[in-house]
Amino acid sequence: MADVVLSINGITKSFAGNKVLDDINLEIQRGSVHALVGENGAGKSTLVKIVGGIYQPDSGTICMNGKTVHFAGPHDAINHGISIVHQELSLVPKMSIAQNVFSHREPVNRLGFIKWAELYRKTRELLKPLGLDIDPGRPVGGLSVGVQQLIEIAKALSTDARVLILDEPTSALSEKEVDMLYKVINDLKSRGVTSIFISHKLPEVFRVSDVISVLRDGRLVGTVRKEATTPEEIIRMMVGRPLGDLYPPKSSRVGERILSVENMTRVPAFRDVSLELFRGEILGFAGLVGSGRTEVARAIFGADRIDSGRIMLGGREVKIGSPRDAIRHGICYLTEDRKDLGLFLTKTVRSNIVASSLSKFVTRNGFLRKHEIEESSRYFVDYFRLKPSDDRALVMNLSGGNQQKALLAKWICAGPKVLIADEPTRGVDVGAKSEIHRHLRQLAESGVGVIVISSELPELLGLSDRIAVFNSGRIAAFIDGKGATQEDVMRYATL
Amino acid sequence: MSVVERTSDAERASDNVRIRSGYSIKSILGARETVLLLVSITFSIILSFLSPRFLSVNNLVSIATGMTYDVIMATGMTLVLIVGGIDLSVGSILGLTGVVTTMMLRSGVSIAVSVTAGLMLGVLLGAINGTMISNFKINPFIVTLGMMAIARGAAVVLTSGYFLSNLPPSYLILGQGKLLGIPFPIYVMLLLVILFEYLLKNWSPLYTIFYIGTNPDAAELSGIKVGRMILACYVISGFLSALAGVFMTSRLAMGYAQFGLGAELRAIAASVIGGASMSGGEGSIGGTFLGVLLLAIINNGFVLLNFSVYWQGVVNGLILVLAVAVDAFRRARRGERRI
Repeated sequence: MADVVLSINGITKSFAGNKVLDDINLEIQRGSVHALVGENGAGKSTLVKIVGGIYQPDSGTICMNGKTVHFAGPHDAINHGISIVHQELSLVPKMSIAQNVFSHREPVNRLGFIKWAELYRKTRELLKPLGLDIDPGRPVGGLSVGVQQLIEIAKALSTDARVLILDEPTSALSEKEVDMLYKVINDLKSRGVTSIFISHKLPEVFRVSDVISVLRDGRLVGTVRKEATTPEEIIRMMVGRPLGDLYPPKSSRVGERILSVENMTRVPAFRDVSLELFRGEILGFAGLVGSGRTEVARAIFGADRIDSGRIMLGGREVKIGSPRDAIRHGICYLTEDRKDLGLFLTKTVRSNIVASSLSKFVTRNGFLRKHEIEESSRYFVDYFRLKPSDDRALVMNLSGGNQQKALLAKWICAGPKVLIADEPTRGVDVGAKSEIHRHLRQLAESGVGVIVISSELPELLGLSDRIAVFNSGRIAAFIDGKGATQEDVMRYATL
Repeated sequence: MSVVERTSDAERASDNVRIRSGYSIKSILGARETVLLLVSITFSIILSFLSPRFLSVNNLVSIATGMTYDVIMATGMTLVLIVGGIDLSVGSILGLTGVVTTMMLRSGVSIAVSVTAGLMLGVLLGAINGTMISNFKINPFIVTLGMMAIARGAAVVLTSGYFLSNLPPSYLILGQGKLLGIPFPIYVMLLLVILFEYLLKNWSPLYTIFYIGTNPDAAELSGIKVGRMILACYVISGFLSALAGVFMTSRLAMGYAQFGLGAELRAIAASVIGGASMSGGEGSIGGTFLGVLLLAIINNGFVLLNFSVYWQGVVNGLILVLAVAVDAFRRARRGERRI
């Protein structure tokens, strides 16, 4: 073999019984730019966290320069010349550039006092090759995200990193900043630094990398040289699995238009989004994390303000300034984060089920009709076969699947005309999952317009009649749910 | 899988029986209110043996009268705690509004106008608290700590530290007048407790504060008027503090800048003893009433048994910390993340 700087041999890792990485074998050439691609949850981040010493593998070894190494923590990895630039910036905004670059490793004299002049000089030396000519004493807080990203890289290089791992470095950058970053990666390459580059975005993967490895469901599908492949092939490798018929049958008939969104914009989350939703259909929202799916849903629900655009309900324009307005118009939004944004964990199932529909259970003077609340809540507990079946149980004592069903009950209780369900089956076991699918389909059949947002492509393809594919804050395409393949969706989502 | 389903049917059947039977003896005995009542009765029995004066009508009426200010303030405090906040300014608002009302009375303004002005000042101060907290998202602890210092300071400035006596005799009837041998304020206190307990459990707008205190983000996304209800709770708290100020100045026939000193501590302690949680979303007015009752009996014991009055502050503080600690322990055991 040529000059291998890092080899990963048979790495396996499980979290709570879920196998996240399964027997990964990978060799990284010295001085190359090696891209790791795959769907959300394919195991990319876990793999680099093992290489960076943050997680310990269950089995398998890592070799550097031919010698087996063992990393007990990030410190060991750094000492071996491996540094990670994480997806979330880890800089301290109020501290200076120099302090951030050399955090906890500042040059000190014998009494432990920081030698500021030397600190600034060393920082300047690191910043220069990155094309940054700024005062190292400036606080990081006021700098653009792109510059902060470069400072993160300087921080990684300050430890004499020979292998630099970049976990989705461009997700928050402007186009100009991305160009700057590529230049830096190429410069580093000419200095013999190896980069491992994680990204969702295939165009940039093809632009910057030499070698591409594809992960899927915790396995390595393959490693190819960039010259020897095409984006289409990479997409096939990313998704390539058959779709079971675990899903309820598709819509039999689609009725009149119930909701339409025209040229809705909220900078920078999404721009110029238009869509239509018809009675009786399930419209899927596909797209990678950060593509604007959830942001569009929140905007339709009035949780976030829009800069421009119109929302029409049943042919008439509606002004939605708050979730309260949306609910009054019959637009309901099941949040993706059920614990923090959806449920009242320390309250009873009954309280949760009626939380967004209290106004339906009051007399003219606002007094609660407790008997009706009890009846409705019991009805939904039975309908969704919640366990325990006592609706006075606290929601926090329910399993994930039952919590999710309680959340769905809460919104159905509100009597939606349009229901947007964001990741309705996240963290839910297989049984509850198909129950939730069935309920969503029934809801659509009963005349409600249903939008489902999901990161799981098979779920989206199995459930939706039509799919809107989001890419970088725009809808890239509408795809017919029948006969669409994961490749089709991924192509629009990544290209 | 099928076994699980079959047992779940059986369980459901038994659950239904349990639901239909309504309140079981166990649920009544297990209720915090029952426990509090039993503890209060136990203390009373012990005290009645230690001091024959305890069960005298005079002593009992004086306990009840002494409780009124704390109960009225603690009612507002409980609402604020349920909605997920805290109000440290209740005692100072009592002091300032009492001073303003008595100053107006002394300068010849009519009783109706003076009392209304005092109450409206309480509403205004509460509204300032609530606006800072709900609109500007400033920490409630800091906002009401500031208001506590400002209102108290203003009261001292207005009076230069003097007592304001010589109030019109007809004003004193409010706090000292009796019906069937029982002072007026006691009726008002009981009426407020029953009213707010009922509204809190049955009136939709007030009921929503349980949701807000449990999870304000989820409440907002459920279409609940979060900001407006937070504001309302602080306004009610300010109003009730001012009402307590009217009764106190009338009862004691004077205005004084230091009235209500330390009342926030007793109000918080009583609310937490009565079931309110420092992390919001829980509490009841009935429980708070019993919490004040328990504190009043303990403090009355101090007087009757000739312990130094100066120890009362120490004991009240201890009770507050103990009650909050028990609350935190209960939550930790229930497995909640936020303590």
